[in-house]
Amino acid sequence: MTSAATLRAWAFPVVAAVLVSGVLGVQIANGGGDFVPARSAPPCAQRAVTSVSTGIEGLSERLVLMGLDGAACRLHVTREALALELAQSRTPTDAQVNALRAGLLEAVDRMKAAGTLPPASELTDEALDNSHLNGLIKAAIRALPDSLINSALKTDDVLRRTINALDLRSLLANLNDPNELSQQINAAVTKAVEDSLAARLRDLL
Amino acid sequence: MRRAATPLLALTVGFVLADSAIVTLALPEILRRLGGTVPQVAWVLIAFNLVLALVVVPAAWVCAHRDPAPLCAAGIAVFAGASAACALAGSMPVLIAARSVQALGGAFALVGCLELLAAVAGERRGVACWIAAGVIGTALGPVVGGLLTGTISWRAIFVVQVPVAVLAVPAALSVRRGAVQRTEMQRPAVAPNVALLLLSAALTAALFLLVLLLVDGWGRSPAIAALAVSVVPVAAFAATPLARLARAGPRAETAAGCLLVAGGLTALALLPSANLAWTIAPQALIGLGLGLTVNRLTVDALRDRVPRVLHGGWTISARHAGVVLGLAILTPVFTADLRDAQVPAQEAITALVLDAPLPAQHKVALAQGLSDQLTKERGRVPDLHPAFARLQLGPAERPAAEQLERNLDSQLERAATQAFRNSFLIAAGLALLALVPMILPRGRVTT
Repeated sequence: MTSAATLRAWAFPVVAAVLVSGVLGVQIANGGGDFVPARSAPPCAQRAVTSVSTGIEGLSERLVLMGLDGAACRLHVTREALALELAQSRTPTDAQVNALRAGLLEAVDRMKAAGTLPPASELTDEALDNSHLNGLIKAAIRALPDSLINSALKTDDVLRRTINALDLRSLLANLNDPNELSQQINAAVTKAVEDSLAARLRDLL
Repeated sequence: MRRAATPLLALTVGFVLADSAIVTLALPEILRRLGGTVPQVAWVLIAFNLVLALVVVPAAWVCAHRDPAPLCAAGIAVFAGASAACALAGSMPVLIAARSVQALGGAFALVGCLELLAAVAGERRGVACWIAAGVIGTALGPVVGGLLTGTISWRAIFVVQVPVAVLAVPAALSVRRGAVQRTEMQRPAVAPNVALLLLSAALTAALFLLVLLLVDGWGRSPAIAALAVSVVPVAAFAATPLARLARAGPRAETAAGCLLVAGGLTALALLPSANLAWTIAPQALIGLGLGLTVNRLTVDALRDRVPRVLHGGWTISARHAGVVLGLAILTPVFTADLRDAQVPAQEAITALVLDAPLPAQHKVALAQGLSDQLTKERGRVPDLHPAFARLQLGPAERPAAEQLERNLDSQLERAATQAFRNSFLIAAGLALLALVPMILPRGRVTT
């Protein structure tokens, strides 16, 4: 074999290797190898929670999302894994239900501390629209000044009472039935408002 | 008819070897139409290649001792009949059985065509024509299959083969080979055949897995996927003039080819996004590698060895045993990886839905719809659009929902791409392994 032929014989695989390196280099420089599904955040990391909804729906959504974070942190699983598990199994475990309740209560505390809980007067109109109260009573309550409503009803207290009153197991079972879900939540909120008012009266007396 | 014999016989070789991978792009469609699982549908490929690998050497031995013309004609006729049966198959077992019969006929057709092409066109040109038809058929198979599936139906793949095969039967019968010469049987060339086996196993990944990734993982249509994978045959055609220009010698060509195939497969394992453009350069490397190696190794395996037909049979057997080996190694790997990819994909989707800027009621409805789609697709990469189509959205909410759908599809594409990564890397390893028999010192031809 002549030296030119030997050179050609060596050069050909070298050119191939250079070509391969070039393609791999361009791919890696553009994120080749990192094209993988997004990883879930650590369960106990603080997460900014937002909602496009306003009023009671927005408040509920933020509470649920923060509560889910808290529950996941307690159970040492990711928020996503817990959400999937709760959605897929129709019978949540006691540990899951307890963690969820504790997470929701902690969310109320966090929102109160951050000053993001709206005063009760901001939610009254919407709550009355959804309630089955007599029209006269609704009109009477709407006529009350905001300061009176806010001094009589504390949002955090109503929320805590609602969370404690809710049957979370049956709530999770009814996630796909908006009417049933709404009835359950309305009943719990109404009872929480009544209990809160009664407690306030007891305190005043 | 004798004048038309060369193109018809070459076309038959191309069709039979294309059949090894022609159904690759149709597999997702076959899976949907006939039902079954991914490992089951892989048997549509495995059955053909396994039977061909097992039968082709005995078929070559018979052709070496008998007049190959009637054997070849009978093989083509069986191949045509089995192709028609494949087109009419109503269930997966029937299709797999018909594919096995197709391979049986195909084995006699392939080795018979080698002898008949050599008889019609002369030893050198006939063998070159047989090898070239095989390489072109192998490279073009997935493209033709994908275009037919995309434009007509997967059944069209088998229908188009019938008239060509029917015309090739009288063409084969018109050729008369000289008297059968009794020669001593030389041992098969081990190194090029082992290299062919390992490279075919690696190339299976390039053709089979890439197509599955494009169609099932990224949700592209078979026709689009066919156009995308046409880079491989185009690059394979470019390899021959390139090699002629470089005059680097057979060993350098095969070494470079193995490196290119391994590099292309590694590049497929490291795709930066699900944009089809990113698959072009890796496929070009694979196509160049295919063109440089298969042709050269087949010539190497046949050179100065008698009987020619038997050694031709060995090369076909090695190539198709390689396809079976590739499928046997890679199918369990990527199906297990696809299964493992489900949890991270579901969690990524859940995170996006929970944080989506949509009202809570739509998020709950969407979660239910997505769950239904996942259940319906039974472990395959799901189509999420129906879940979004069912949502009753206001005009203000549509842009957010559309963005969310794009983001969810991206997560699925990421999960699918990641699931194929290990298989592409293993295939790259097989291509590098093919270098070993080429590096080892060659023994002389013995009888």
